Amino acid sequence: MFLEIKDLSVKIENKNILKGLNLNINKGEVHAIMGPNGSGKSTLANVLAGKEDYEIINGRINFKENDLFDLNIEERAQEGMFLAFQYPVEIPGVNITPFLHSAINSKRKRMNEEEIDNLSFAKLLKSKASDLGINIDMLKRSVNTGFSGGEKKRYEILQMSILNPDLAILDETDSGLDIDALKIVTDGVNKLKTKDNSFLIITHYQKLLDYIKPDYVHVMVNGSIVKSGGSEIAAEIEKDGFQKFQ
Amino acid sequence: MNSETLDTLDTYSKNKYKYGFVTDIDDEKPKKGLNEDTIKFISLKKNEPEWMLNWRLKAYSKWKKMKEPKWANLSFPEIDYQDIYYYSAPIGFEKKPKDLSEVDPKLIETYNKLGIPLEEQKVLAGVAVDVVFDSVSVATTYKGELEKLGIIFCSIGEAIQKHPDLIKKYLGSVIPPGDHSFSALNSAVFTDGSFVYIPEGVKCPMELSTYFRINAENTGQFERTLIIADKGSYVSYLEGCTAPKRDDNQLHAANVELIALEDAEIKYSTVQNWYPGDENGKGGIYNFVTKRGLCAGKNSKISWTQVETGSAITWKYPSCILKGDNSIGEFYSVAITNNFQQADTGTKMTHIGKNTKSKIISKGISLGKSQNTYRGEVSFLRKADKARNYTQCDSLLVGNQCGAHTVPYIDSKNNTAVIEHEASTSKINEDQLYYCRQRGLSHEEAVSLIVNGFCKQVLQELPMEFAVEAQKLVSISLEGSVG
Amino acid sequence: MSIQDNYLKNKKNIFFSENKDIQSHREKLINIFENNRFDKKNNESLKNINLKKFIDFKYRYLISEETSVINNNQENIYSIVSVNGQCSSFKDDKIEITKILDEDYNDFSKNNTIENNDHFVNLNSLFLNSGFKIVIKKNNNIKIKISNIITDDDLTIFQKNNYICEEGSSLNLIEEYENKNNSISNILNVIKLEKNSQLNHFLIQDNSPNHNLIITSHSSCKKDSTYTQKVYNFSEGYVRNFHYSELIEANSEADLQGIFFLKDNNTTNNKTFVKHLAEDCKSNQVYKGILNDRSKATYFSNTHVDQVAQKTEGYQLSKGILLSDNASYFSKPELKIYADDVKCSHGSTIGPIDENAIFYLRSRGMSKIAATKILISSFINEELSSIDNEQMSEIIQKKLVRYLSKVK
Repeated sequence: MFLEIKDLSVKIENKNILKGLNLNINKGEVHAIMGPNGSGKSTLANVLAGKEDYEIINGRINFKENDLFDLNIEERAQEGMFLAFQYPVEIPGVNITPFLHSAINSKRKRMNEEEIDNLSFAKLLKSKASDLGINIDMLKRSVNTGFSGGEKKRYEILQMSILNPDLAILDETDSGLDIDALKIVTDGVNKLKTKDNSFLIITHYQKLLDYIKPDYVHVMVNGSIVKSGGSEIAAEIEKDGFQKFQ
Repeated sequence: MNSETLDTLDTYSKNKYKYGFVTDIDDEKPKKGLNEDTIKFISLKKNEPEWMLNWRLKAYSKWKKMKEPKWANLSFPEIDYQDIYYYSAPIGFEKKPKDLSEVDPKLIETYNKLGIPLEEQKVLAGVAVDVVFDSVSVATTYKGELEKLGIIFCSIGEAIQKHPDLIKKYLGSVIPPGDHSFSALNSAVFTDGSFVYIPEGVKCPMELSTYFRINAENTGQFERTLIIADKGSYVSYLEGCTAPKRDDNQLHAANVELIALEDAEIKYSTVQNWYPGDENGKGGIYNFVTKRGLCAGKNSKISWTQVETGSAITWKYPSCILKGDNSIGEFYSVAITNNFQQADTGTKMTHIGKNTKSKIISKGISLGKSQNTYRGEVSFLRKADKARNYTQCDSLLVGNQCGAHTVPYIDSKNNTAVIEHEASTSKINEDQLYYCRQRGLSHEEAVSLIVNGFCKQVLQELPMEFAVEAQKLVSISLEGSVG
Repeated sequence: MSIQDNYLKNKKNIFFSENKDIQSHREKLINIFENNRFDKKNNESLKNINLKKFIDFKYRYLISEETSVINNNQENIYSIVSVNGQCSSFKDDKIEITKILDEDYNDFSKNNTIENNDHFVNLNSLFLNSGFKIVIKKNNNIKIKISNIITDDDLTIFQKNNYICEEGSSLNLIEEYENKNNSISNILNVIKLEKNSQLNHFLIQDNSPNHNLIITSHSSCKKDSTYTQKVYNFSEGYVRNFHYSELIEANSEADLQGIFFLKDNNTTNNKTFVKHLAEDCKSNQVYKGILNDRSKATYFSNTHVDQVAQKTEGYQLSKGILLSDNASYFSKPELKIYADDVKCSHGSTIGPIDENAIFYLRSRGMSKIAATKILISSFINEELSSIDNEQMSEIIQKKLVRYLSKVK
């Protein structure tokens, strides 16, 4: 099993958010989680990435034969987990290029791969950026600083394509995107899809799933998955909303 | 705070100071203590003319009546001025060596270790260096090339001998010896330092640089720097400093005076990395420095950039007196304090002329048990029509045992002048840390990256050669492990 | 007359002078004055003050024949007229008013930590001759309006008031200072907010040129309490507004705001100081001033965050508009921070009225003067529009119009 979440219960500030959640993802699969606001979708993404504000009260998560809870944030990232944030934070003064360069090298170091030098990295970055229709000038700017909502999301996908993760978690990547931006972003994701990597797509609306075809769709309500199936579920939600699952 | 942050902090506090070695060299010192005889000894050693000695003695008599300024947010035991050597020179330096073959190899080795090679062929291309070891200037590189342009770059001792008219006219003209007790003290006992004169219309083609090193024990360093940029000229000047690790506190009280005439520009950059003391607060340099620039002529500009990471105590306010109409003053500062360091630093912008402009960007970072204060004054005098100031000072706190303080004084007496001031204090942003770590950076790397980003506005003002060094220094001050 | 002579001559008229402890305390204060005087050079809070007025005054106090009035005209609304700093006693189930003389002075003075650092507060302790205490009882919600009346010229009022908002209470307090006589009022308000209480405190200051008002407040907030203070200074005479707040328990809040309008030779000194001593507290310090003619103002603000005061939010803003080239404004917005999980900031701008804005309005056909007046009003719009009391809003508007009519 590639990612296995078993009986996961999580709370924050004495409030139970996840309640006995189960989810299995195999290599090469695309999973979508849909759910109303406050159902715990983003919490799941952050717990997977290792954010420290949560208290795990029960359950376990295995990721590529590791007990995920043994790894800290950066170790999970270096093992190939990538979270595309819903609200990417601005980091003024920190230039994108060296930032991504150190990120990719810390991953390579852990994998005992040779570090990539300045020049090759710059080349790689440029080509990936142009694939995503990202202006080269944007690469001279500070991380997420002064970016529009769409630029931030596109830039998350750029990082994802550079770091080439085994498991990519997209947290509401479609929120705040107009249709053109959504196309660019989802094209980027589709290009990255191989038989060796997996995607976990978290979304509120069905729209995104018109562009990225999931193998499985899960409905999450009140901290646990209440229904799983194929893409027909997404259409059901589109029609009737989440009401009937609650 | 989570445990990882604590671990990182712990690594940081074990700051290793890589410049802490001592050069074992014979030196010559007068008796400890300050009196007229000490001053006469210094003046004699420097072979100074009588007017210079009298100037010093006058400053000394002023100093005797003065008390140390007390308004800074610093605490330290009283300085015993009678327990300090006021002069120390490697033996054989009665006269400055003509070339490096006359310099003690141990000294050359010292500077190689510090990354400041003295042999010209190895010197960083495009940087002329004057090297001051304890109380004397040991070498000045690229002198000949500069002379062709009429640029004078030499030790202040040499300038007193060779260019008495310029010295008489300008020394003490921006910082009067009686300004405060440290300026009086420096005026009385200054031993060496650099002198720069850029003639009318000349743009100095290379960075001029002075490297200060305190070596001898219980010795104060009192250097004096004087830079004059004549009409329409330009110069960029760099200053670096280090000292060995010692358990006692050592006093450093320098004076730097800048004069920019009409249309002239002076850019003065400092990377201050004096020994800060150990992680228990023992030892370290007391750094009481007075730096002041006078924009004397129309359209002149003086720009101060400083990266302050060293010293047990930093007391330093590089200032600009904007006298000429349309003149510009700038101050860019990064001050990092760790362990038990205390810094009280900032600037003073005095707008006298019309249309004068000033800009202040200050970034303070406090770690460990340190105290970091920004103190700045901006004043618009009555006649400073249309003057403008923009001030931004931000502080970052890493750990919950340190302090960050902001004390701006804003005084406007002109109704056409505009002043804008912004300041903020916060801890390092947890969301930024999370984001960087999610991309695979370690906690320590992430902190260093974010802090460097926080300082970028200032670091980018440094000349290229220095900027890279300064960035490393910022990271080192945080992590304490040197590659 | 010197401070010491004043004291010795009037000793028996000053409150609590029969108390030995207080006497010896006062003698100590006199010593401080003798030794330390008013050291203008090393005490920046004395900047621009005409000290002679406050050091060489002649002590004079009258217990007025006119009695003060307390009126409970509507439910939960009390009107109080304080005469020469005094007020008669009153008691019902919501509120209790007592004369300060009826208090146990030792108890009364215990919490006064600002003394010694502030000469004007020391003068208040030394010559104390009036004041009252108001207690708002538990869980009551009331409004009080106090008019401060002074009955004669050349009086020196040294008044100390104590306000206590008991647990869960809420008080709307409007104070008016509109005096035409040539006198000095030195008022110290000590304000305590118990758990979950609230005080909205408005001070409307509009004295004539010969009246000097020195008003100092020291508020302390316990858990979940909020102190809001808004000062509207239209005075043509000297006013000193120094206001200190301590947030001593978690989740409390202090909001100290002021606007001042100066003209002619007038001077004002302002200071706000918030000490964060507990977690999760918020503070605001916002002062705005308009200075015309040869007027001078200072504003010191200070946010002090103690090591334990994590999750503090502290905000400061100081803004000044200079309408004349002889006016001057000095501001010092200070941050002293010893805790790391904080968000503190301050901003300060001083300058003329925005010329571009003037140009824009003139291009729409407005005269320069009209444009200036509009822009002054908009500068303080936030402060004016936040007044939710219609009657008060009207009063303030009138005073603003009066000030603007003198702007040329």
